[in-house]
Amino acid sequence: MIFLNINNLNVSIEGKKILNDFNISINEGEVHAIMGPNGCGKSTLANVLAGNEEYEVNSGKVIFKNQDLLDLNIEERAQKGLFLAFQYPVEIPGVNITPFLHASINSKLKNEKKPELDNLSFAKLLRKNAEELGISTDMLKRSINTGFSGGEKKRYEILQMSILNPELTIFDETDSGLDVDALRIVTEGINRFKNPKKSFLIITHYQKLLDYIRPDYVHVMRNGKIVKSGDISLATEIEASGYQNF
Amino acid sequence: MTFENNFINHSKEYIFLDNETILNQREKVFKKIIQKNYDKKNNESLKNITISELGKFNYFYKPQKEDPTISLIDNSNYEIRVINGICKNYEDDNIEIRNFTNLDFKRFLNQDKNNFDDIIIDINNVFLNSGIFFNIKSESRLNIRLIHDTSDNFTIFQNNFINFKKNCEVQLEDHFHLKHNSINNINYNIEVEEDAIIKHNIFQNFSNSNKLYLTSNTVCKKNSSYNQNTYNFSAGFVRNFHHAHLNGEFANASLKGCFFLKDDNACTNKTNIIHNAENCVSNQTYKGILNNHSNANYYSNTFVSENAQKTEGYQLSKGILLTDNCSFFSKPELRIFADDVKCSHGSTIGPVDESALYYLRSRGINKNQAMKMIISSFIEEDLKNLDSESAKIISNNLSDYLNSLVND
Repeated sequence: MIFLNINNLNVSIEGKKILNDFNISINEGEVHAIMGPNGCGKSTLANVLAGNEEYEVNSGKVIFKNQDLLDLNIEERAQKGLFLAFQYPVEIPGVNITPFLHASINSKLKNEKKPELDNLSFAKLLRKNAEELGISTDMLKRSINTGFSGGEKKRYEILQMSILNPELTIFDETDSGLDVDALRIVTEGINRFKNPKKSFLIITHYQKLLDYIRPDYVHVMRNGKIVKSGDISLATEIEASGYQNF
Repeated sequence: MTFENNFINHSKEYIFLDNETILNQREKVFKKIIQKNYDKKNNESLKNITISELGKFNYFYKPQKEDPTISLIDNSNYEIRVINGICKNYEDDNIEIRNFTNLDFKRFLNQDKNNFDDIIIDINNVFLNSGIFFNIKSESRLNIRLIHDTSDNFTIFQNNFINFKKNCEVQLEDHFHLKHNSINNINYNIEVEEDAIIKHNIFQNFSNSNKLYLTSNTVCKKNSSYNQNTYNFSAGFVRNFHHAHLNGEFANASLKGCFFLKDDNACTNKTNIIHNAENCVSNQTYKGILNNHSNANYYSNTFVSENAQKTEGYQLSKGILLTDNCSFFSKPELRIFADDVKCSHGSTIGPVDESALYYLRSRGINKNQAMKMIISSFIEEDLKNLDSESAKIISNNLSDYLNSLVND
């Protein structure tokens, strides 16, 4: 089975080309990291995979679990097992975290033709996963991301991931705006979730995150395409001399 | 029927028919309307209306056959049915309710001092055919549900007086059950005496052949509190114009509203708070969701007189436009003549937040459900203080509205 295969993907926004014949393959259980300078198209890639309708896909193919991902809308992609942990999770005042996440997991289960979770089962699952991430039950009564600190928002993204149990998670600069302690809590949450059935695509600027989550592959992205691939040593090289050699 | 014909045929019917002073006054008001003698530039009651069109209606009013009722659910819960403007006369230790009689003409004349240059009130005065006097006695703790039943084709011109006596605590609810093709021009004159705490919830949900012009004029005395919440889910035209005068120190008034429009529906809203005393607080907030070709206006006005120091006055309007064809015009106004005040205003009108929609959908929630969540969240704050029964009414109305969006 092809897990994720992106083939010659070209994407633009408002006429400006962002992804330029982009290619990558990710197998089940693999952890890939993409590093690159500002404006090289990393976040565009994350959003295009999640289905953000602001971007125009000009050509190319994205196969996810043997299906053309580009044929699916935003929610269908999530229901199929793709999860984007946002760089800037949006605040939605008035939409409470708990019923929102309950609706999310049930829409996924419904799509998988599995029994939906009743209130009690969901509350238990949520409380257990929240405790593991050090999220207080008080926080679960609040509106989505409203009034959260940067660290709380990222932790809440990880909580959502752990509830929705996706097969492919994309972290879009999850480390941005986090202090050392928050970074440790978030990466511990990610590591706890890792298993041979889960794949990850980590977008980051810094080696620090990759020290906690050891990726199988590191890719350097410039001008909308991958220009070099390697292992974790590539991240060390970037940390030492920047992107000018790529 | 023309305005002139309506006036000739119907302005001398029912209450005050023998009172020459009032009939003369009606004549004067009639001439003012006919001559269009209004300051059009600064008068919100005239925005988006044609005076001649406003006067064209088929006046229809006759005493009803059905008896209005007052039900006492327990010692503090009253359900009062007003049928075509008439209620049952009643009195107990908590409350006195009676229909207006010719003897009340002085009260009717005195209301003029608080009335603004409002054509709808002028028309109400000319064709007045009903009125109710409510006296809520001191220290009472009451829930009053007022149900306005209007039959097919009726034109109701009503002037109500509510006097909340000292230190009473009341939740008053207005429900409008309008049948078909009715015009309801209802004016409330409300007096909130010292230390009284009043919550006034107004529920408007009726079919598109009806029209409701609801005006209120509230005077708040020292240490009193008046909180009005209007929920408009009507398919018919609604005008909500609400005024509050903070005349005693440490009084507060809040005039809030939510409206949910679709198709070609329209509503116009105005709130106006006049600070006449020190240390008073006011809030004016209207929120609306508009779909299809609907349109709405909201005018908010805070006036702080020279002696109203330490005033706090806040205004806010928010609108979500679900299509490119609907519109929401918002005009906040502050006129401040005192120098030690905290006042603000804000207005945001735009489409549904696409980034919020994207976020919810990226978690597997379909577009319709995500829209429902965002729209519900828009008024979530406004439902917090409602009792469970009122919250249920709003929740059902909201659910119907949201389902209609999905079916579009």
